[in-house]
Amino acid sequence: MKFQDWKPLGYKTLYRELFRKHLARQNDLLKRGRPTGWFFSFHPSELIYVFDVVSAFPEQYPAYCAARGSSMDLIDTSMSVGYGHFICDYFKTTLGSIIEPEKATQPTMPKPDFIVDTRALCVAHHEMAEVFSKIYRVPRYVVNYPYWTRDLLGKVDELTKIPERIDEFYLEYCVEKLKGLVGFLEEVTGEKMDEAKFKEVFRVSEETSKLLVEIPRLMMAKPTPGSQRELGDLVFVAFFVLGSSYAYEFAEKAYNIIKDRVKRGEGVVPEEKCRLLTFGIMPWHSLSLYEYCERLGATFPVNLYVNTSVYLVNPEKPFESMVRRSLHFANSTYEMMEDILENVKKADIDGAVLFENTGCRITSMIIRPLADLLYSRLGIPSLIIEAPQCDPRVTPLGKAKMQVEAFLESLR
Amino acid sequence: MLDDFYQFFRSKSKIGEYKEAGRKIIGTLCNNVPEEIIHSLGAVPVRLLGISQTTENARSKLPSWICYYARRILEDGLKGEFSQLDGIVGMTTDDTKMHLYSAYTFYVKHGFSYLIQTPYVRDELSLDFFAGELERFAVKLSQYLSVEFDEEKLRSSVRVYNRFRRLCEELCDLRSDDAPKLSGVDWMKIMLGSTCMLKDDFNKMLEEKLEHIKDSEGIKDYVLRVHVSGTDYYDLEILSLIESMGAVIVSDDLCTATGYFAGFVDEGKNPLRSLAERSLGCSSCILSSHPDSLSIEDRIAFIKERIKKSRAKAVIILRDRGCEICGHQYPLIIEALHSLPVLVLDMDIPVSVEQYATRIEAFIEAHAR
Repeated sequence: MKFQDWKPLGYKTLYRELFRKHLARQNDLLKRGRPTGWFFSFHPSELIYVFDVVSAFPEQYPAYCAARGSSMDLIDTSMSVGYGHFICDYFKTTLGSIIEPEKATQPTMPKPDFIVDTRALCVAHHEMAEVFSKIYRVPRYVVNYPYWTRDLLGKVDELTKIPERIDEFYLEYCVEKLKGLVGFLEEVTGEKMDEAKFKEVFRVSEETSKLLVEIPRLMMAKPTPGSQRELGDLVFVAFFVLGSSYAYEFAEKAYNIIKDRVKRGEGVVPEEKCRLLTFGIMPWHSLSLYEYCERLGATFPVNLYVNTSVYLVNPEKPFESMVRRSLHFANSTYEMMEDILENVKKADIDGAVLFENTGCRITSMIIRPLADLLYSRLGIPSLIIEAPQCDPRVTPLGKAKMQVEAFLESLR
Repeated sequence: MLDDFYQFFRSKSKIGEYKEAGRKIIGTLCNNVPEEIIHSLGAVPVRLLGISQTTENARSKLPSWICYYARRILEDGLKGEFSQLDGIVGMTTDDTKMHLYSAYTFYVKHGFSYLIQTPYVRDELSLDFFAGELERFAVKLSQYLSVEFDEEKLRSSVRVYNRFRRLCEELCDLRSDDAPKLSGVDWMKIMLGSTCMLKDDFNKMLEEKLEHIKDSEGIKDYVLRVHVSGTDYYDLEILSLIESMGAVIVSDDLCTATGYFAGFVDEGKNPLRSLAERSLGCSSCILSSHPDSLSIEDRIAFIKERIKKSRAKAVIILRDRGCEICGHQYPLIIEALHSLPVLVLDMDIPVSVEQYATRIEAFIEAHAR
């Protein structure tokens, strides 16, 4: 197969700028003695900016370690003290960095003063929060969203996470728990919530979310305008810093770049040979696999993992918005997978490359049913690659490339 | 004498009898599902436990590294081993169980299914929510069964189940004697029998046998009293192996044994609220705790209490290698049990008994009295 020129959107520079601002904020708050919280994906990130707390993420930091090559040692450290092999890579990497910080990529996460234990994706978040809370002896606040079913929601728009309805019984419980979280943050900061600031943060969040939702939508254009190598980091913006001014600045620039490219009808490669869907937490150690596929002419207009991270904020209903963040298909019964098919059809997909993240049940257990559904409903074949998100030893990049090449051959 | 219970588990003959008598059979995917609700509506709750020794069908639907408890259930479901079921009830107690519910209802279809949404904290708001959730479950099931939900009937079922728990506790206490009246294998056989019978029938049967067990001489020729720890473990081979090497299993915290019956339901309160309190508060592994404490601390306290009562001198952990709860909790549990010797066995199926024999033998020899 012939390699083509590869023309990414150039988000790399934007991410650098975003991280620089995020770390500057973190350092400034640490200097001012503000408390540090640990948060998990799908948490209500807006509250971080309402309360001016330092935020650290035991999922983002391990991804950073994986990209820089320290995660394997950290995983081994966790297992050497008895933690299971088949549990989340993020947990094992973070724990390894606590036990042997000298082996970890610097800077490590600041120690937590509190932990926000939200289960909007997996119970593993709750299990991790327990262990971290026990190690650091810090308070933790639990918010558990339902594992959604069709009965409770009806149909859900994959990108905006706007459902036909939300069963009031569950919505009310979640909203009350989130109000309790506000009370918890008031306690740890010793400050009452600033209502005006709350409104302003949600206004910024709404504006940002509108742009973020459009980016994966524009990715479905023909030809595929960008690379998943770049799109992957969009989850950092959507999961962790939504509500910040720097997230908005990023989203505005990123949206304009992709919009212009779609307008010009330019693709990430000159000749698009097949269009693929991907799902699974991205193997952060081997993101070049996406570039490799794209250079072979196999582009990725749909990344269901990135799509789970975005949603449309409604500042008129901020608490309901925070709940809607959990309305993604990985946190739902399999019948809800039907809702993603609409975008798959629109994107005109030829095949799927699915990553089974060893140790992550919530993403991996839906890989095969997803493959079954794509094939039975749309005739789309799938390649499943076992790829824990922080440990390249299970499927080295070379092996993954060979598997992908064989799969692409079979699609012709 | 105790093999009857185990036969009911292996053959599912009691379930067949109930089915023939016109009762609906409802399978549960977690021991925290409040069976009393199902019982009060006239259906038969059955704790689903797969018995396949290999899971080749399930492996085409699930990752191979997830817990074998889940793989075996799906395997048996796909093979039609649970064809007697009319419905299933799951609970959101861990990631595997949430998606197992989805997988089961996606690939194996029964007339009724419900997923009970669990809060992971025992604050007042969450307890009220959970009582409401149980009510929703009761109403849904009553609609399916065309039976009206009746609080009085639920109270009556609570009494049956509390009787079951008292009997189990009484039986379990007999393991704490100097000469334990019951081996770990026999205890497991009885507990497995209890998962697939109406508790009314089980209680009668156990009451009849209890006196006989009490009068037995007990086990005297052992060299080590062992506590067995784990989650949904229920194969007899390893328990047999442990006891064949001179140890006696005097206590456990398994979801399939002590974790299955532990904790009473307050009969003086609203029954749904009481069920919610027990379900979130009294089990060995559920991930819920008081807002100011951690569930891992609750579990450690539960295990320590069992060890103290049974005077176990060593702990053998049967760690399902794919169990996320085991994967996260055991280092902290082992640390908390620092005064006792601990052997960790990573388990999967099919069980390779011989591979474990040397380690178990050495452990028992090293710590024998």
